[in-house]
Amino acid sequence: MTAIRKGLILAAIDGSELSNSVIDYTIWICKQSQSPVKFLHTIEHSHHSDIPHHEGNLTPNMKEHLLEELSDEERSTSKQLIADGKIIINNAREQAEQAGLTDIIAKQRHGTLPEALVDLEADLAMVVLGSKGEDHQGEKQGLGAQLETAIRAIHTPVFIVKTPFSAPKKMMFAYNGSPTSKTALQLIAQGHFCDQALEIHVVSVKSTLDDAQVLIDEATAVFEQANVAVTTTALAGEAVDELTAYQQQNNIDVTAMGAFSHGKVHGFFFGSFTTRMLLESKTNFLLIR
Amino acid sequence: MLLSAKQDWLGNIRGDILAGIVVAIALVPEAIAFSIIAGVDPKIGLYASFAIAVIIAIVGGRAGMISAATAATALLMVTLVKDYGLQYLLAATVLAGVIQIIAGYLNLHKFMSFVSKSVMTGFLNALAILIFMAQVPELIGVTWHMYALTAFGLAIIYLFPYVPVVGKILPSPLINIIVLTLIVHFMGIDVRTIGDMGDLPDTLPVFLWPDVPLNMETFLIVLPYSLSIAVVGLLESLLTANVIDELTDTESDKKRECKGQGIANIGSGLIGGMAGCAMIGQSIINVKSGGRGRLSAMVAGIVLLILVVFLSDILKIVPMAALVAVMIMVSIGTFNWISIKELKTNPSSASIVMIATVIVVVWTHNLAIGVFTGILIGSLFMAQRLSQFMYIESDYDDGSDTRTYNVIGQIFFNSSDRFISFFDYKEAVDKIVIDVHRAHFWDITAVSALDKVVIKLRREGADVSIIGLNEASETLLDKFAVHDKPEEIEKIMGGH
Repeated sequence: MTAIRKGLILAAIDGSELSNSVIDYTIWICKQSQSPVKFLHTIEHSHHSDIPHHEGNLTPNMKEHLLEELSDEERSTSKQLIADGKIIINNAREQAEQAGLTDIIAKQRHGTLPEALVDLEADLAMVVLGSKGEDHQGEKQGLGAQLETAIRAIHTPVFIVKTPFSAPKKMMFAYNGSPTSKTALQLIAQGHFCDQALEIHVVSVKSTLDDAQVLIDEATAVFEQANVAVTTTALAGEAVDELTAYQQQNNIDVTAMGAFSHGKVHGFFFGSFTTRMLLESKTNFLLIR
Repeated sequence: MLLSAKQDWLGNIRGDILAGIVVAIALVPEAIAFSIIAGVDPKIGLYASFAIAVIIAIVGGRAGMISAATAATALLMVTLVKDYGLQYLLAATVLAGVIQIIAGYLNLHKFMSFVSKSVMTGFLNALAILIFMAQVPELIGVTWHMYALTAFGLAIIYLFPYVPVVGKILPSPLINIIVLTLIVHFMGIDVRTIGDMGDLPDTLPVFLWPDVPLNMETFLIVLPYSLSIAVVGLLESLLTANVIDELTDTESDKKRECKGQGIANIGSGLIGGMAGCAMIGQSIINVKSGGRGRLSAMVAGIVLLILVVFLSDILKIVPMAALVAVMIMVSIGTFNWISIKELKTNPSSASIVMIATVIVVVWTHNLAIGVFTGILIGSLFMAQRLSQFMYIESDYDDGSDTRTYNVIGQIFFNSSDRFISFFDYKEAVDKIVIDVHRAHFWDITAVSALDKVVIKLRREGADVSIIGLNEASETLLDKFAVHDKPEEIEKIMGGH
């Protein structure tokens, strides 16, 4: 990852199980790419009040009283969340320092993660996220509720952590010819994400082998021009099934692909390919939009 | 968007359902009271409240806000109902909705920035006074029972919340209704009940097109009413949205809210309901009860319908005193009591704007006219103040017999007379230089004032030259906009 686009590698962390893994992967990526790192913890306001009030009557100057009450309540929860988050990001900073990184920023922001990513995107080269956050602790399956919104909110590559840390060795690039996967192809071929550390497998799946081979030829040409050695495989069948099978057979660590080339409405009705891949794979992901 | 929509709907299910029920309970007496204000059967207001609450839950721009039949809009319908009847009211409601949708597409919500805090306070105070005045007829020419019951109802509303445990769980307006109904029913007191005020809903609402001739004449009859309703409805809705934004520290989509109010009114008109808008009091109750999402308005509307359709027989025997007590509570809660104290501390211009708004509204029963009056008076005060930001320095150079005037500040219609009077027209000099590079000419009145000065001075025989006119008149162009460029603002604030 020597030639990664200039900018920060942002790791979004909270107190979840995957958070440590996110920190480790981020440190690994920063070392490979010699990029500065930014650890970000977001303080989400629930804006819900826990004090029950069902009197249902309107009293004089009720708005003023209610505003005072709600802001007092929120202030104390915010203070607590900030204090908790400080511990989390300071731990991350220590780990990064111990790993030898020098250019480290650790920050907190109010609001949701997608909001924060949109605000910060201009300075970022890559975002590292856990596949699910604090709210989904202990759920075996499934993705974080904000994951898709976060990925869709920005156009920066996103590295999604699903596994405990082990230094990645093999990356599978799933190429299907869609506009986002073409972007991904260019970026990967230019060496934006991989150096000698990663062995690249280009895999295309179509209903017939011939169609898949066309895509493989397309991709191979680009990689050859860039002088990057890759292993290629054309497969016929259902894309998600074939790709997840390939991941397992070849001990793939990271799956790279273009993400969410269709709009949200399409995804709502037909199910998004990206979401299915994220759900059914056991590897980490590099998503490019 | 889909995710935030999900969050809007399902992010706070328990809080929203409980708050929705609390709101529905207070909505029933209000909807009936506003129907009485408008001069229609209670069912018209109840159907309206159901339709508006449910539709706005889906299409509105402010989650957690409650919309239904309101006093502000009901007050505007009185003469239409009296002169032309219910069907024209339904037609006017649909047309008001169409106007609101158009207003939404035209981004008219942006004009809300002209509504100052004083005007908003005046709006609320006037609304409170009108709601109270609407209860007065119920309290005139009645037996002492009515006064006693109303007072008792108010006592329950304000004191029941202090009862340990149940006081925070059961809505006190509901306790008021239940207790007064039991007293009147079992003691056989002869006072007016809701059943005396007209039809209550006995079926679910059905779709019906207003029974009016679809021609130009009808259109011209309802148009002035529809316009007033549309404007007042959007005003109260946007004011309420701001209140909820502040209370919950979240943002709302004002454009979507305008269009949503329009769709809700069209829906209301087509099931035989009257026009409505957002309700400040109910929205605050909703937030206080823990309502934050769209679900709360939806639950409020549905529970209201269930209550009135299935309990209409019980509702009929509820004494008017219980309802009047609820409305007096709404009036007291809507009035901004702090503003009375602030009359002493606020600048008198602010107080004048507030009081003028109140007087005009109470006079005309039209909140829109009051708000426009408030905005107008407020703008005049503002122009008066800005015109103080102008002065002229002058220098005399003996050698060349030259008088130099340095004009600094803002020159526009309101300061141009002062500008003209600064110059000494009686002084006999050879040359006069008017340096305006640190001045701003905001309108053509300012430019013609400068022309006048130059002509007058030339008549006296001086050679007049002007320096820096190009810079000074940049502000004249309509497209001139400071936007957020700091260097442009710096120019205005610090001279060029």
